[in-house]
Amino acid sequence: MPQFFLNKRLIILLVSIIILVALIGFSLKDRENLTWPEQFLKDTTGFVQNAVSRPVNYVAVFFENVQDLQNTYKENKELKTRLDELARLESEVQRLKKDNTELREILDKQDSLSEFEPKQATVIGRNPDRWHELLIINKGKNAGIEPNMAVITSKGLIGKVKSSNTFTSTVQLLSSMDPTNRISAKIQAGENNFFGLIEGYDKEKGLLLLKRIPYDAKVEKGQNVITSGLGGVFPESLPIGKVVDVVPDEFGLTQTAYIEPGADFYDIGHVMVVKRGALQPELMEMIDEKEEEL
Amino acid sequence: MRRFLLPLILLGLFIGESIFVQLTPPELFGSGKIAVPRFLIASLLFLTIYGSKKHGVIYGLLFGLLFDIVYIEIIGIYLFLFPIIAYIMTKLMKILQTNIAMASIIVLLGVALLEAGAYQMNFLIHRTDMDFAAFLSSRLVPTLILNLIFIILAAYPFKRLFEKYADSLNE
Repeated sequence: MPQFFLNKRLIILLVSIIILVALIGFSLKDRENLTWPEQFLKDTTGFVQNAVSRPVNYVAVFFENVQDLQNTYKENKELKTRLDELARLESEVQRLKKDNTELREILDKQDSLSEFEPKQATVIGRNPDRWHELLIINKGKNAGIEPNMAVITSKGLIGKVKSSNTFTSTVQLLSSMDPTNRISAKIQAGENNFFGLIEGYDKEKGLLLLKRIPYDAKVEKGQNVITSGLGGVFPESLPIGKVVDVVPDEFGLTQTAYIEPGADFYDIGHVMVVKRGALQPELMEMIDEKEEEL
Repeated sequence: MRRFLLPLILLGLFIGESIFVQLTPPELFGSGKIAVPRFLIASLLFLTIYGSKKHGVIYGLLFGLLFDIVYIEIIGIYLFLFPIIAYIMTKLMKILQTNIAMASIIVLLGVALLEAGAYQMNFLIHRTDMDFAAFLSSRLVPTLILNLIFIILAAYPFKRLFEKYADSLNE
């Protein structure tokens, strides 16, 4: 028995496994901010990544442009046909916008859930082991980016800010598996809206799962899905994607819709971090103290 | 200058992995197949085989920590896996001869070990619900093919570099 404890390597291995479990437990804990050594390291490497990824991106964009040139003629033809429709849409949007502001003035209602302030950022890194889908962007706390803000590309929602350091931030994509990553969304079905939660991602099909839709909701293929703004963090009406399929859940009490995301989760160069215009409710304010006393 | 060459190369590979993932199309080996670049561990293993064993494990520890903090935000996974794989390699090299083909195969084995270890850890902490068969076909095989290409390209330059490094340590 004493020989067992004298085996130095075995002791080192056991101690390091204990440390490993402790460290993983510590980092899995739902923490608001990273510790300062982590933030410092991330910022420093972010600086190097920024310096490297910029010239690399220029080269990549150049080759992409050359490829684009080859399809220009075909694309131009297609776009011309769409242009007429666009002009009509634009005038209608103008009119609706004006209507909306006037009506708001009459109602004296200033802020809306859909108001937001976008901040441009460039992707400087991506997690190479593709278990955790994380991006690193080149804006941080000093540009006003804070955890839990929504992140979008021009095509739709891609994720949220997981943590922010002084000069860089980490974005968690919708495609990463994290049970705490839930987004309140709604399906636009004509007059009605059906609400649900985006929970999880089907990696094989490349589709998002929109769960907890009421069982009597008549969801159809091709309907648009947008954020609802009811989660308290994201603004309203950021596009997410389109419904592809609807299935009842395992108990038949609710429905689950498969959503084809509008944005590509791989080819991401530039993103916008969205700061919600409306006030975020504080958790403490939402808990009614008087009720608790009863 | 000589002193900083090795950390600089490793840092370059560390950042290069992330740029590689960003620029290559996601479906390099067909749809649903994920190929993960493991260039950093490959170079670390060449360092342990041809350079210094001690330095291999220490750099493994350092870059494992850096990898965890910068890319994953869960400290512990690679901090543990990098050094332990480097250590296993030192033990393996004692019983095997160090010609370049053998070394390449062993490095590839190390990459497979790392990938399987990372899968097990992520499975334990519920960051993935992939079963083992799916992991083998959709992740391990494409990853090994990608890294085999890298190892074949880089084996000889790494051998030269790390043997020189070992010499400079002995002086």
